[in-house]
Amino acid sequence: MKKFDVLYVGLLLIGAFWTFIVNSANDEPIDRVQPCDLVDIVAQTDKYMTTDELARRLMSDDPTLALIDLRSKTEFEKYSLEGAINIPLEDIVNPEFKDAINQDVLTVVFYSNSSDLSAKAWMLTKRLGYENNYILKGGLNHWVETILRPREPKETASRSEFENYSFRKAASAYFGGGSATGESVVTKKPKVAIKRKKKSAAGGGCD
Amino acid sequence: MERSKTYMNSYLAGILIGVFMIAAYYFSGEGLGASGALKAVVVTAVNDVNHEYAKEAHFFKARVQNEEQSPIKSWLVFEILGVIAGAIISAAIAGRLKFEIGKGPNITSRSRLIFALIGGILFGVGSQLGRGCTSGMVMSGMGVLSLSGFIGLIAIFGGGYVIAYFFRKLWL
Amino acid sequence: MGPLFPLGTIGEELNMLIGFIIGIGFGFLLEAAGFTNTRKLAGVFYGYDFVVLKVFFAAAITAAIGLFLMNHYGLIDINATFYPKTFWIPTLIGGLIMAFGFLIGGFCPGTSICAAVTGKIDAMIFVLGAIIGIFGYAFTYESLWEDLRNSGKMGRTNIAEWMGISDGLFILLMTIVAAVTFFAVTRIQKKVTDKHDYQL
Repeated sequence: MKKFDVLYVGLLLIGAFWTFIVNSANDEPIDRVQPCDLVDIVAQTDKYMTTDELARRLMSDDPTLALIDLRSKTEFEKYSLEGAINIPLEDIVNPEFKDAINQDVLTVVFYSNSSDLSAKAWMLTKRLGYENNYILKGGLNHWVETILRPREPKETASRSEFENYSFRKAASAYFGGGSATGESVVTKKPKVAIKRKKKSAAGGGCD
Repeated sequence: MERSKTYMNSYLAGILIGVFMIAAYYFSGEGLGASGALKAVVVTAVNDVNHEYAKEAHFFKARVQNEEQSPIKSWLVFEILGVIAGAIISAAIAGRLKFEIGKGPNITSRSRLIFALIGGILFGVGSQLGRGCTSGMVMSGMGVLSLSGFIGLIAIFGGGYVIAYFFRKLWL
Repeated sequence: MGPLFPLGTIGEELNMLIGFIIGIGFGFLLEAAGFTNTRKLAGVFYGYDFVVLKVFFAAAITAAIGLFLMNHYGLIDINATFYPKTFWIPTLIGGLIMAFGFLIGGFCPGTSICAAVTGKIDAMIFVLGAIIGIFGYAFTYESLWEDLRNSGKMGRTNIAEWMGISDGLFILLMTIVAAVTFFAVTRIQKKVTDKHDYQL
């Protein structure tokens, strides 16, 4: 009797150790970021897209742009950039959205109210190995300041600043600027279907 | 007294019950339970007798809204029917299928039955309030690492140990 | 990928049939372990028979390990299965009431049904009592119990998370504690039964 008891209890212990080991090994991707990797990632300077750049792309109807709004659903519905999809930050690693973010072809731009949430999202996805992700520098707050309600440069400003300002004024008109918290005037449906787009040889298959 | 030889090894029985619990989750997404089935019996009885009352009363409403489906047709009830069958089969094989009254040596059969009734009533109330009984809430709860299962465990067994002394005459 | 019924892989009829079959297994094992014997059940509180403790923990640990591993290897989606919501106040109080019920009545609902169908008259009375108790509770629900039952709401709380440790670590700790307990109670049981034969 005693021998079997030991066997059964032993089985339970083995099972428990197995779960523990499996559980610890599981923690890799998000939790255990190697410090050296982190420094490299953070040092990358090409992770930003300025508001000007974004405005330019939107105005030229750039088809390779995929905007991801990281805020909550209510905020998204109140105001969002045209063509943006809403994926709240906490869902960013949800496998359901993986194909929208892990893209070979499109340029994915994260935005939120400031750079804060988008920087976090960018870090996460970079750690997971996704490419082609960018942060809207300054977020929506900066978008409002620069594009929707651009400020006139001082008289002593440089020529390029004035040129930039003209561009911004035009952009402001295009995007219906003036009241930043108003509804997005141009509301197009999101252009990106949640399907993984692969680079295919020209002429291969029709969609 | 060698009767214990006919009982299955406790650890083995426990492990096998665990396996069946896993199966229950894998196939049906449900935990094993018992008090829920008794509740279904009560709900069905009241519903059949007076549906109008059942629809309004808070205790019953959730289960009786669907007029097509009787509340007795629940997974838990089918499981309990299986439990009944399984218990009979096991008892038959082991020769334990007979009428008797289990009781401690120091009380009469009559007392035992009265206490059984009282104990049953207490358990009926307690399991409804506690949202489950030992099998459903505690065992299945612990299996999925739910806090409620462990609270139940401490309340029932911890509480039991504290008051056991006062009821020792029933058993020892 | 489980759970099969909630994810639509199997139909309702088959699900009920499977419930029945699983019940057979459960009932068989409860009886085989001796849970129809009320004195064996009460033994856990007096030290002469720890069958309840052994079976209970062995079952819970097996299920916890099994479900965790199956979830990890993608065989089951644990989020689609039944997960009780934690209401700590009524569970605590209900548990205490059940403790009284256990010590006075000598059964719990599952074991009482097993015992009742195998001829134990005390169990049949227990089941009757339980049904009376539920009736009583039901008809006084709104006035006496409803608020209490909904108090202490904590939602779906995972104990490992609540304690701030990982699931795997919790399972390991629980198993180690259980193993030590098994060893301890085996010795206690031997000591107690050596003094007096309980004729179980």
